[in-house]
Amino acid sequence: MTPPVPRGRIIAIASGKGGVGKTWFAVTLAQALAEAGQRVLLVDGDLGLANVDVQLGLNPPHGLAQVLVGHMPLEDAVTQVGGFSVLAGSSGSGALLGADPAVLAGLLQAGAEARDALVLDCGAGLDAAPRRLAAAADILLVLATDEPTSLTDAYAAMKLAWRDVPGLDLRLVVNRAADARAGARTHGALASAVRNFLKRELPLAGIVRNDAKVPDAIRHQTALLTRHPASAAGQDVARIARAL
Amino acid sequence: MRLKTFRAPRMAEAMARIRAEMGEEAIILSSTRVAGGVEITAGLEPPEAEPLPLPPVPAPPRLSFQPLPDGIARPLLLFGPHGGGKTLTLAKLATRMTLTGQAPLLVAADAARAGAVEQLAAFARVLGLGLVVAETPAALARALARRVAGQPVLIDSAGCDLLDLAAAEALVGLCRIAAADAALVLPAGLDAAEAADTARAARAIGARWMLPTRLDAARRWAGWLMAAEAAGLALDLAGTGTGAADGLTRLTPEWLAARMRLSDPRMKAAA
Ligand SMILES: Nc1ncnc2c1ncn2[C@@H]1O[C@H](COP(=O)(O)OP(=O)(O)OP(=O)(O)O)[C@@H](O)[C@H]1O
Ligand SMILES: [Mg+2]
Repeated sequence: MTPPVPRGRIIAIASGKGGVGKTWFAVTLAQALAEAGQRVLLVDGDLGLANVDVQLGLNPPHGLAQVLVGHMPLEDAVTQVGGFSVLAGSSGSGALLGADPAVLAGLLQAGAEARDALVLDCGAGLDAAPRRLAAAADILLVLATDEPTSLTDAYAAMKLAWRDVPGLDLRLVVNRAADARAGARTHGALASAVRNFLKRELPLAGIVRNDAKVPDAIRHQTALLTRHPASAAGQDVARIARAL
Repeated sequence: MRLKTFRAPRMAEAMARIRAEMGEEAIILSSTRVAGGVEITAGLEPPEAEPLPLPPVPAPPRLSFQPLPDGIARPLLLFGPHGGGKTLTLAKLATRMTLTGQAPLLVAADAARAGAVEQLAAFARVLGLGLVVAETPAALARALARRVAGQPVLIDSAGCDLLDLAAAEALVGLCRIAAADAALVLPAGLDAAEAADTARAARAIGARWMLPTRLDAARRWAGWLMAAEAAGLALDLAGTGTGAADGLTRLTPEWLAARMRLSDPRMKAAA
């Protein structure tokens, strides 16, 4: 028997609610890991509105859908940016919905081979597609802001993820926090819901501050750590990357 | 989880409101001092059922591939919607058989349309094959009774709307009199739901095979593929060109996979 190929970790980003910063965070985390010397593949798994390529100002000819339906090998569909690789998404493509979970998991594992980390944007919502992606993760980072809608949706996403994979390594990222104390409060609120209702602990991966440099970088379709390396949000993500 | 935030001048007041509004089961998730009092967020997990497991992935379509009967033991009858390519397909089958030394007897049960018989007669002349025009079921029975033992028989039928009960019944009668195997000739490019309805109706009247046609001309193959799957009709040969001698292709899973990749226009554009 040949030993299994060592592969990097699959770090998936989910949130339940849309618009809380998953795509931006996934891009910035991929960049932070790459700057720390890791070989990283960023995969856009958002079926509704694939946005990774837009935030990075790429115009990739191929993406996840072509790989999933078998039109080309994964490495042919990958685009290089700065220090990491990107497998772009395909908006409105049903390919992922119908994809065999085993095929999907195999594809992600292949993408993590010969790399240190695969960062996966699961997209918003609680339906089958983001759930299947989250279930393929080694580490699931659930993103939440302090808004009640984000809290309840993040809670619902965590409940589903643990239902699908009871032993999942799931951690919270508080995004757009006013400051560290506010972020800790948001974590505390979700952690006590999780403790009381799901009888589990909710580890904190980190807190990312609200930062006007984030929308600025997105508007310029440039990765945050390229445009504003010293920004508060950029440094917060770099800290999360180091602690992972 | 239901979540609600309460503001009140004092803690006790906020707690009382939480108990009143959300009940004893509510959990305090966070509390902070704000200007003029406290702000408390409370959560409540309604006693709902556990979330449903992930839905199973729909099984990939199952197509069946079976050799089309040779028309020797039992005649082979082609039927299907108007203009679907029955007569041309029959001519292609007859050409194949003739080339392999199995010259078939051709039967036109297509009495309703004189033009269709003429088209078949022209093919029969070119191939030097016998053609029987059977205008009534009785004539069909007489013709089949006289055939040479061991000679294949191919029967062409009038185009019909299978969802029309009278037409379907007439076809059932024809198959019974001819004691024939029936194959549905279905053009590619039909709406998938309509094609599936037609194929199911074909199956209901006893058809076991589908011969898709115009695969060369249609870009959208979902219709005939879904029809074959939905009705459980076996595939073997398909119309892939207008020539009588070279317009039939044997369908295999490998051939389909290769062709479907190429015909995806987005893939062509991307390539
Ligand atoms: N830390 C932050 N500070 C300031 N703005 C932020 C921060 N994080 C995200 N944003 C803003 O939130 C918006 C949404 O971000 P993004 O598109 O990454 O969210 P998303 O969760 O991927 O959305 P969707 O669910 O629609 O895919 C962006 O316009 C961005 O400017
Ligand atoms: Mg997004």
